This record gives sequence, C-alpha cells and structure tokens, in this order.
Amino acid sequence: MRQGILFIILLLLLPIAVAVQDLLPAIPPFKERVQLLPVVFCFGVMALPLVPSLYFALATALVQGLVLLQIQSGQVELGLTEPVVFFLTWAILLQMASEATHGMRWEVHALGSAAVTLTLLGVEFLVLCVKRGGLPLEMTVLLRVVIPSVAALLIAPLLYFALRKLVPVFLEENLLPKKPNFSR
Amino acid sequence: MKKIQIATLVVFAVLAIAFCLLESGTLSWLQSGLLGVMSPISRSGSAVKSSIGTLGKDLMTLDQLQAEYERVLSENRKLRAENNGLRDLQQDNDHLRQVLGYRERSSFRLVPALVLGHDAGVWWSTIKINRGSADGITPDMPVITDKGLVGKITAVSSNLSEVLLVTDENCKVAAKVEGTKEQGISAGSRDPVGELRLTFLSKLADLQPGQKVYTAGVSGGIFPSGIALGTVKSFHARELDGEAILEPSADLGALEEVFIVTGAK
Repeated sequence: MRQGILFIILLLLLPIAVAVQDLLPAIPPFKERVQLLPVVFCFGVMALPLVPSLYFALATALVQGLVLLQIQSGQVELGLTEPVVFFLTWAILLQMASEATHGMRWEVHALGSAAVTLTLLGVEFLVLCVKRGGLPLEMTVLLRVVIPSVAALLIAPLLYFALRKLVPVFLEENLLPKKPNFSR
Repeated sequence: MKKIQIATLVVFAVLAIAFCLLESGTLSWLQSGLLGVMSPISRSGSAVKSSIGTLGKDLMTLDQLQAEYERVLSENRKLRAENNGLRDLQQDNDHLRQVLGYRERSSFRLVPALVLGHDAGVWWSTIKINRGSADGITPDMPVITDKGLVGKITAVSSNLSEVLLVTDENCKVAAKVEGTKEQGISAGSRDPVGELRLTFLSKLADLQPGQKVYTAGVSGGIFPSGIALGTVKSFHARELDGEAILEPSADLGALEEVFIVTGAK
C-alpha cells in the first residue's frame, strides 16, 4: 500500500518534471535546455524495488515518447519503441548499481542522471540521423549533449535530498545505504 | 519467484510490447491527453515565471533607483512641456494604434496566443501556446507574429497546443525570394543554430544579403502566400542546386505572443 503511494507520487512527478523543464530558461551560450525527466527517472528506479521500477521505467518511456512525438505526413518519427528499450535498459542498470552500492546513494543518483541524460540525447540524435540521413557531428551538437548532462549532474543532488525522505516513509524495506559510508 | 511477481512481469511485458506497437493515431490521442494533463501545470508555471520575471526587473540598487528617479524626473518635465501640444492628438493616436493593430490589418483570421514555454527537447524546435481545440485550433494551422512566420501547430489538447518552429528540420516551407523568380524549400537544421536553409534554388541565382524571403503558398500547402519568412544572409551553389542561409524574420528566441492563422478573412 505504502509502496503504491510512493509509486503514484513518482508517476505524478513525471509530467510535472516535463512542464517545469519547459519553463526553465535555456543555458547559454547555445541555449541548451535542462532535462529534469532523466533525473526524476533515476530517482524513481533507484527508490523502488525491481518490478515497480520496471513499470516506472515504462511510464517514463511513455511520457518521454509522447513529449517528443512528431507525426509528419502520418508517419511517426520517433515512436515509443526506442524510449521503452532505452529506459528499461537503464532501469535494470541502475537497480544493479543500487544493489552494488548497498542501497540508494546520492553520488550514484547524480552520476546516473548525467549518464542517462547523455545517452538519451545521444541515442535521440543517432536515431534521427538514421531516419533523416546524414550525421552532422559538429561542436554545437556535442555541446547540446554534454551541457544538459552536466546540468543533470548538478541538479540531481538537489532532487535527491528533497525526495529521499519519502523513501523510508513509503517503503517497508529501506533502500537508503545500510552500511556506514565515510563519504556522507 | 512468487506467482504474483511472475504475473506482474507478464503484464509488464504485454504492456511494453503494446506500447511499441501503438500506431500514429493512438499516439497522437495519447499525446493530446498528456498535453491536457500538463496544461494546468504549464499555465500556472508560466504565470509564476512571468511574475518572477517582472519582480526581477523591478529589483534595483539604491544608486540605480536614484539614477532612475532623476531620469524620470527630467523626462517628466520634458513630457509635461510636450504634453500641452499633444493632448488632443493622444486620443487620435490611441484610436489609430487600435485600428492599425496587426490583427485588424491582417488579411487572415487570427487567434492570439501566449507562449507558455520552449520545449526542452534538444533535437526538435517546438514551443507550447495557451490555445487549443476549445479555441478552434487544429493541427497544421500556421503560426505567425507581426514580423513573420513562426511555424505550424503539430499537437493540440483542449487548451494547450504545440508549435513546430520554422527552424526545425521537419518544418518545410515553400518560399520565394523577393525581386526574383527564385523559389525553394526552406527548413531548419538538425544542428539547431536558429538559421533557415533555403534549398532547391537555381545554381546561378543572383541573391544578395538582405533580400527578403516570403512563403510561396503552393497549392495543397498549409502556409498562405506572402508571409515574411526570413532575410538572405548568404548564398552558395551546391552540386545540383543553390542554397541560401536565411535569418528568420520572427525573433524565435524571444517569442511571447503569437497569432494562429485559422483561415482567410
């Protein structure tokens, strides 16, 4: 029951994250956008047990896929298949990382958020290159992938410490680190 | 593994496969639903952002306030002197401003809309506006400002819509160059630098920087003829055609209000 409430709160955070990231100002000089959805996704899959985290990854894929959905002449440019595969893969990897570090850790969440953002933007770019043809690998393209990832790395701890109190409240099994941690 | 966990995973797998097999119509319907869910958050967030922006503009140091006060005082004296002669003209001016407002002088039926935010998608250039199907907005309607073409509507919910900007690689517009017979197709680029590429021009086209480019309004297209699209920055011949780089007419980085073209007057 309590786990279900945490799951619903995290689900509600997904459209909120999308709406907020659209309202945030662009980062100069190339007007890169801050990506909050990967940060919320990382928190969700690390906070939830395996099976709910897979459902959460599916919900994230649905939201991300619909946000980026572009239908040109009746053809879907980027459907839901790519986001579903992408977020499920990362959900499993982050669950493994959580297990390897004996529970949720803010460092893993921050690094995970940056890695998910980096790979998400990279995969989107590559899929578009395959579908539209051409591979314009220029410095601006690189910056458009790297800067939002660095922004995610910096924003992730803020979200982690704002939300971490929810985890022991709503989960019977506490996923916060069980072993003493000298870096904390 | 417990039976319940196996059942949950089976349901999960079915859902994941079903998501992957959804067709464009269903996806479009789901997208409208998501925009509907996000609409109150985007609208209230945009209002808060606007209030914060105004607050930030109003915050000044004491020195700035003193300088501003002196400037306003001096301007006030000057304006009071001028005002005596202009009082009668003020009413006429206000009336003419209203009459000459873009919406009125446009030959299109326009629905004004506020820009709620620029989408965070990195490889697509889109914005969200506060009008939707409740205002008669449908996909593929052109979006303009008094300066020129902004883009077209791609997704609609009851009171929120998504606009694909002309600087997106997928927003293709038939265009003609002022003072020439040159016509081509304009689109943005994947490396979003905010410029337009006008292709399929003649290799020998004599285009000069500063020449205006307008929509060509081809039959079956969605953009009416004669809307300002951009200004030529440079031109170069390619292997098979000529390509011009355009500066968009509308300032797409600072959009606050736009008009949706719902038809001709």
